[in-house]
Amino acid sequence: MNNTERKIVITGYSAITAAGTGITPLQELLSRGASALTSVPVESADGQQLMWGHASHFKAADFMPPLKARKLDRSSQIATATAGLAIREAGIDVKNLNPERIGIAMGCGFGGIGNSAEFLTGFFNSGAEGMTPLLFPNTVSNASASNASIEHGLKGPNVTMVQRFCSAESALLMACRFIEQGRADIMLAGGIDELNPLMIKGFIDLGQHKSLASCFGEGCGIIVLESAESADRRGVPVRARLTEIRTVGLMPAGMEEEGRLRLTGDCHGISRAGFSGTADLMPSLTGLFAEDRRQSIAPVVGRSLAMGATALATLIASTGPDEKAIHLAASPEGPYFSICFHGGTSA
Amino acid sequence: MTIKRVAITGIGVFCGAGKGIKAFNQALQEGVSGIGTIDLIDTTPFTTSIGAQVKAYDPSCYFSPHELRRLSRADQFGLIAADEALQDSGVRDHYAPWDLGVSMGAGAAGMFQSEFWLKARLEGGQASPALLRGLLPDRTTTEIAQRFKLCGYQGSITTACSSSATAIGWGADLIATGRQKAVLAGGSDTLSVLTYAGFNSLKVVDVNPCSPFSLGRNGISLGEGAACLVLENEETAQRRGAKIHGYVLGYALAGEAFHMTAPEPTGTTAARVMAAAIKTAGIAPEEVGWVNAHGTGTPLNDVVESNAMKTVFGERVSQVPLVSTKAMTGHCLGAAGAIEALATLLSLEQGFIPQTLNFRGRDPECDLDYCHGGRRDSDCRIALSNSFAFGGNITTLVLGK
Repeated sequence: MNNTERKIVITGYSAITAAGTGITPLQELLSRGASALTSVPVESADGQQLMWGHASHFKAADFMPPLKARKLDRSSQIATATAGLAIREAGIDVKNLNPERIGIAMGCGFGGIGNSAEFLTGFFNSGAEGMTPLLFPNTVSNASASNASIEHGLKGPNVTMVQRFCSAESALLMACRFIEQGRADIMLAGGIDELNPLMIKGFIDLGQHKSLASCFGEGCGIIVLESAESADRRGVPVRARLTEIRTVGLMPAGMEEEGRLRLTGDCHGISRAGFSGTADLMPSLTGLFAEDRRQSIAPVVGRSLAMGATALATLIASTGPDEKAIHLAASPEGPYFSICFHGGTSA
Repeated sequence: MTIKRVAITGIGVFCGAGKGIKAFNQALQEGVSGIGTIDLIDTTPFTTSIGAQVKAYDPSCYFSPHELRRLSRADQFGLIAADEALQDSGVRDHYAPWDLGVSMGAGAAGMFQSEFWLKARLEGGQASPALLRGLLPDRTTTEIAQRFKLCGYQGSITTACSSSATAIGWGADLIATGRQKAVLAGGSDTLSVLTYAGFNSLKVVDVNPCSPFSLGRNGISLGEGAACLVLENEETAQRRGAKIHGYVLGYALAGEAFHMTAPEPTGTTAARVMAAAIKTAGIAPEEVGWVNAHGTGTPLNDVVESNAMKTVFGERVSQVPLVSTKAMTGHCLGAAGAIEALATLLSLEQGFIPQTLNFRGRDPECDLDYCHGGRRDSDCRIALSNSFAFGGNITTLVLGK
């Protein structure tokens, strides 16, 4: 992204994670070096001692009528609630704006898998009689973004992406383009992931509970991206100004340094670096910054496929006015993202 | 707002209606449907037993045993279609790996294999964990990127039935912005117990081959497959002497914000998206020759789409055929948009409008020209391709020759 067409700013953000509701509880744990990870219930962990970043505090009924909550899968509940928080935080009054100019782009990890497993379990156990039609619509990955758009009346561009540990960054890139092109004035961009016991069993079968899926986290983070003109018009504080997004799909053997340079550039003048996905496990990326300038939320709330927006929001909250920061995200088999921004007004 | 002309320089397909461009094109020209009895999954619990399955498929003809241990059926189809498209374009010989991206749409992805793992678990048995490797819909994209060394952008759109249409539009954006010099864009999806049982549970699957826009239509026929397009900047494609099949002239997308499964009944958002796509292409509605419909064959969808056409084209609507190729390909869900974009492109390229198959009678609520009588010659240069999805996700592509 080179913002030659329309400048993009961030006017709000929020999250629901194992740490609690909003970014502040996560930031406090991060600053204390504490963690919100808890033990996976023994019955879900095949008897093993595992940890996860489960958002146990989340109660859908705190955010929506119980009847509505019953129609949504867990990912949709969390995403819809987080979208509402982000909209409020950014001071957006959808009813007094053109809803066709407000869109949503979400990265999704395992969203929809819980409903898929429940629907199939009914079918495998009881045949056609065991099928629950109500479960089927929310088996799709885009259920979270679509349910959030329905609840909040967002009629602009609507997209969901899944791309390994960079799912949220993938959505954010697309959301920025929609604003640059003038397809939207405001885009909610973020990531959603959920945890359920069957996923843990799958991780164990694949052996991933000892590697990248150890301490898996769930939750949702949403960034409110907005054209600078729109933010000016609304007269709202600017939390950050995006300057550049870069991405590389693969870094094949022998081409890693060239790929890294394409991803990060020279990193001149960067005060803070945040790491998402598996970027904190890559010495070629972490080594670019002194330890006291780096932050990673994985030890606090767990690692997940769509954690990027939560990590980015936490970094923005930690970045002072006009400080330059970089968010780096990676997946073991690619892709890789870097997002540069300047800090703005604190929330 | 306009996007630069993005050329399509490579095409590939592998689906129930045709394994490869030659077979698919023949089916399209002759109006031959790929819908028939399926044997990939056990259909005895359901009232329906048909679909557009990829038949007579021997994976070992395409992949080694080692590769097959980790590739889902969706990955396999995607790789086969990608290979055909990349060979057709020859694009890999002309650009650095960093300049080549991949943008795929996906749906149920590797669910078909993963279902065996779940069933075994429920029965107290053991199943190979490798069955889970393709569960997430991004796997096909990564497999394609790795196999063909496409080191640039790597992304997967997952908006159910509009996924791969959006993936093509987004791929065109990546070219138009100069982020990539070439992008492989498309989609791959397969039949699975989840989708077959799911749509049956909603009672939207026709017991007979689907008959879009016909009287007495009673729902969809499911299908499977993959289609890929290679997208490039027109100028650089011409400079390297590439064969240009056609162009992605523009696209638009939006969420209806109405209901997870039911379309907004007036078709207002569908019309808005079609009009916005026409605008991004920098053309007038009068330049659109025909529209490849989402056209699922469900009673409500076909009426809504017909109504949206009237809003967009006004008095001229009777001169703009609305054609559904789903009666030929089945509804390929995450791959539907790409397969239909390809059908649109081939038809434009060869100067005809394809037939909407399986006509059962004229529905007074579907009162447009649907090409039910047979394919017809056409010299039009531009057509739209519509894709609607669960969640109200709507995408329209503008394709030209």
